[in-house]
Amino acid sequence: MKNTIKVERAILDMTQEDLAQKIGVSRQTINSIEKNRYVPSTVLALKLSQLFGKPVNTIFSLEITD
Amino acid sequence: MKQSFYESEKQKLDKLSNFQLPNYFKKIGWTLFGISLILTLLFKFTEDPSPIISVICKKGMLVGLLLVAIAREKVEDEMIEKLRGKSFSAAFIFGVLYALIQPLVNYFVGVTIKPEPTTYSDLGDFQVLWFMLFIYVMLFQLYKRIA
Repeated sequence: MKNTIKVERAILDMTQEDLAQKIGVSRQTINSIEKNRYVPSTVLALKLSQLFGKPVNTIFSLEITD
Repeated sequence: MKQSFYESEKQKLDKLSNFQLPNYFKKIGWTLFGISLILTLLFKFTEDPSPIISVICKKGMLVGLLLVAIAREKVEDEMIEKLRGKSFSAAFIFGVLYALIQPLVNYFVGVTIKPEPTTYSDLGDFQVLWFMLFIYVMLFQLYKRIA
């Protein structure tokens, strides 16, 4: 699964640390999600969607291998 | 609203399985483990080590590692929870394999190398628990580093 969190974060001019604090996770978790090493839970995906003001499936999308 | 029996049981179980100590217990745990390890090594070289001190040192190492294992991270989020789960399950499986295989290895090495007859003996609880906790702590650190 790929995502556009890095882009969305850049649009809002936020650092990984800012985003992490806003949704209550560690900076390392944000980094892992951005690098596609960790797939977040639905709750976390919805929190990101709410923060970025975009639907979940525009932020996260499936890859052929999924 | 009255809770159903299953909901209240689930809550109790969750409370038990999610039990964690504050983050500063990690430092306390490592300190206790370190002191116990140093004392164990020191008493190994004394001529007549007291069995009570040896038992206290072993328990100290186990308690120290247990404190490290159940202390919260600074930010305990869902990824950390997942890494904990992975590390615990792997440590459990490695622990069972170690308890099954290591006595056999000891026995066959003894039979091959030592001239006197070797008897088969299982591992003690300390060895198995120490191995499991140590593997858990190491795997958890490794997973965190590569996450």
